[in-house]
Amino acid sequence: MMKLEIQNVSKRYSKNKYGLKDFSITIEKGILGLLGPNGAGKSTLLKMIATVNKPSDGRILLNKNNIIKDPNYMRQQLGFLPQDFGVYPNLNAFEFLEYMAAIKGVGGPNLKPRIKELLEGLNLQEASHRPIGGYSGGMKQRVGIAQVLLNNPKIVIFDEPTVGLDPEERVRFRNLISDLANDCIVILSSHIVSDIGTIADNVAIIKNGSLITHGNQDHIIATVTNKVFEITIKIEELSAFKLQHTIVSTSRKKADIKVRFITENPVERATKMEGNLEDAYLYITKNN
Amino acid sequence: MSPFFNIIKLDYLQRTRSYAFLITLCASLAIAYSFVPEPNSNYSTIRISGYVGYYNAAWFGYVTAIMTSFFLSLIGFYLINSGLKKDIETKVGQIIASTSISNFKYLLAKTLSNFLILSTIVGVVFIMSIILFVLYNEGYSFELYQFIKPYLLITIPTMFLISVIAVVFEVFLGRFSVLQNIGYFFLFSALITFTPINESQFNYDLFGSKIVIHQLEEMVRELTNTDENSNLSIGYILSDIDSSKKFVFNGMDFSMSFIISRFIWVVLGFIIIAIISPFFHRFNMGNLKSTKKLNNFTENEISSKNINLLKLPKAQINYSILPLIKTEVILLFRKGKKWLWVVNLLGMLLLVVLPFKVSHQIVLPVLWFLQVSRLSDLTAKEITNNLSHFVSTSYKPIGRLLLSQVSAAVVLMLLLAFPLIIRLGLLINFRGMLAIIFGGVIVVMVAVLLGIISKGKKLFEVLFFMITYANINLLSFVDYFGALKHHRSYVIQLAVLGLLLLCASLLIKKNQLDND
Ligand SMILES: Nc1ncnc2c1ncn2[C@@H]1O[C@H](COP(=O)(O)OP(=O)(O)OP(=O)(O)O)[C@@H](O)[C@H]1O
Ligand SMILES: [Mg+2]
Repeated sequence: MMKLEIQNVSKRYSKNKYGLKDFSITIEKGILGLLGPNGAGKSTLLKMIATVNKPSDGRILLNKNNIIKDPNYMRQQLGFLPQDFGVYPNLNAFEFLEYMAAIKGVGGPNLKPRIKELLEGLNLQEASHRPIGGYSGGMKQRVGIAQVLLNNPKIVIFDEPTVGLDPEERVRFRNLISDLANDCIVILSSHIVSDIGTIADNVAIIKNGSLITHGNQDHIIATVTNKVFEITIKIEELSAFKLQHTIVSTSRKKADIKVRFITENPVERATKMEGNLEDAYLYITKNN
Repeated sequence: MSPFFNIIKLDYLQRTRSYAFLITLCASLAIAYSFVPEPNSNYSTIRISGYVGYYNAAWFGYVTAIMTSFFLSLIGFYLINSGLKKDIETKVGQIIASTSISNFKYLLAKTLSNFLILSTIVGVVFIMSIILFVLYNEGYSFELYQFIKPYLLITIPTMFLISVIAVVFEVFLGRFSVLQNIGYFFLFSALITFTPINESQFNYDLFGSKIVIHQLEEMVRELTNTDENSNLSIGYILSDIDSSKKFVFNGMDFSMSFIISRFIWVVLGFIIIAIISPFFHRFNMGNLKSTKKLNNFTENEISSKNINLLKLPKAQINYSILPLIKTEVILLFRKGKKWLWVVNLLGMLLLVVLPFKVSHQIVLPVLWFLQVSRLSDLTAKEITNNLSHFVSTSYKPIGRLLLSQVSAAVVLMLLLAFPLIIRLGLLINFRGMLAIIFGGVIVVMVAVLLGIISKGKKLFEVLFFMITYANINLLSFVDYFGALKHHRSYVIQLAVLGLLLLCASLLIKKNQLDND
């Protein structure tokens, strides 16, 4: 049984600049989706869990082992996809994955077949013998995903994994993650709330380096129950309307505009809607 | 501020606000400190037939100005010749290409920011030389114009031209950094050996320093009353201080035509930039990164296969570093253009056929220097290719990865030196063989150490260039591969040096990872 405990962790970049401040969360088997505005501290948190950086304060325990003191305990069972990563352009995908495997300390006779399966499963087999320097953005991203699965990771961290993937590949990726979650901890961050909504068991929302909410999706969506509405108004009315309510989305219909919004107080003519994760995310980040 | 000057300013800030530049400045200070030897030291930098000048303001000003001009022409080029490359690497170039800035303006901005960088170093050296003058004061009065004049007329225009040359090289040889390095080496050697034979030809001297040296020689010739060619030496020459005689140098009056010629050189620099701007690729270079023309392929068939995690063949734990070494070797060999390997093979052939001494003293260091971009990339490539996150989460990154990088590079160096090692073996010269092997280890370790410290490539590239230049001038102090005559224990010294460098690299790398 996997258990990751993050206890009062802070990351201080300079005197008054914290990437993360006194952050605590306990994560168990399953998929945790991390949401938060740009600069919230998602990558900072994930990099510390992945042992790229060390916290300035606090402890991170994996199955009771302090991974700050013993990072290799984490590294042996980790799969990590950084938000922003590069490749060696002169290697082809197959060679690059062999290299990553060597770096991670896995090998043996099964390595080559495993890499081959991974490349096929990520739809890269055709390209796998060409230098990665010539890959498209999404293809490179998939090489990064393949790299995560080289060892049999028990804890998998994806920092914005769906960036650059086309819709079809996104679906594939979601399936892959659900499979993974059967016996690992999977943590992923994303700005696409619906991506998180469809796959994550639990959701954590971070803002300004602090955890503002954490729980299963239903629990989080419950915060906007009876607060989500839709209304059709004239375009000219929109800017005044924006000042009064939190707008989730708008869609134009000739001279009219249909607005989905969140409000505490009922508005005339508006129809009540069922809340979703996106509504809850906007509501929570706005009110904290 | 107009947009044009803003570009220059921001480019300059971007390039100087780095740790590497700070190190460069410190190194320049250290070098500048040695330009005018401390009165009791046992070496000299400029010496004419045993004569050096009294330590007055003129001697300080002119000697440091000439030495700066010489040194920065030699290494300054390597400091600044990646201005365009950075824009390619960071993809800023793609944004620039889509703006309305003209080629000429962009290249001129790059030239001027190059020039500002070199001028910053010159400025630091200038201040240092004044401080030294005060420190070593031998009772002469301080005359500021004796400092300003040579710097303004000799050093500064030269720096501008070096900046122009760097941009020209980058425009035409952008993809071939190896060719840039070697090409400039030859250009510099050719320019430095050009000897004016009459008064007006001094105007053709790009460095502008030959006229001063000529004057110094004349003065000494008058003193010694000989018509012979005086024996001039520039560089770091060991000498017996007691034996050196002194003469008074009071600065120079430059002829009007010389002053105008310096001005014309600068104008020529602008013209050159204008002439080459139509040839500038404007970052439209397609397959710059990969060597093959396979850039834009898309997948036509979407496979329906999904990864079945349970059925995936299980890889085993394997902490051997052999696969790492293998990849590092592949990376080393694939770096750079393929045909450059023809040059390497040619070099190896020369090691076989040329007289033994030439092979060892000249061909080997040059052949090794040709690998400069491979070596400098060794540890820096994780950072330049943005792989450092992968590396720092790997299993025991220091021991395994660093050692594999070192081993791969040593393999490359020894492979290149192989013909020579065999020749030494046939001569039953085992000490010589060992010296070359340790030499290979030492360059690699210097590359690794400087790469780790500076987190970049430039520092090593510049240093390696200077060392190689000294090597082919047969300076025994920098003979790291035992090409010259040394004491019997020299091989042991080399081995110890290699080991020390290795330990230092491991410690510093560990420290860096721990403090992240
Ligand atoms: N190396 C660094 N030095 C200084 N500050 C940093 C550094 N890395 C991150 N920060 C700061 O820490 C804060 C959190 O950054 P982080 O990258 O974790 O955000 P994020 O939630 O991942 O954002 P995004 O959604 O844009 O990826 C930001 O304010 C950022 O400016
Ligand atoms: Mg991030």
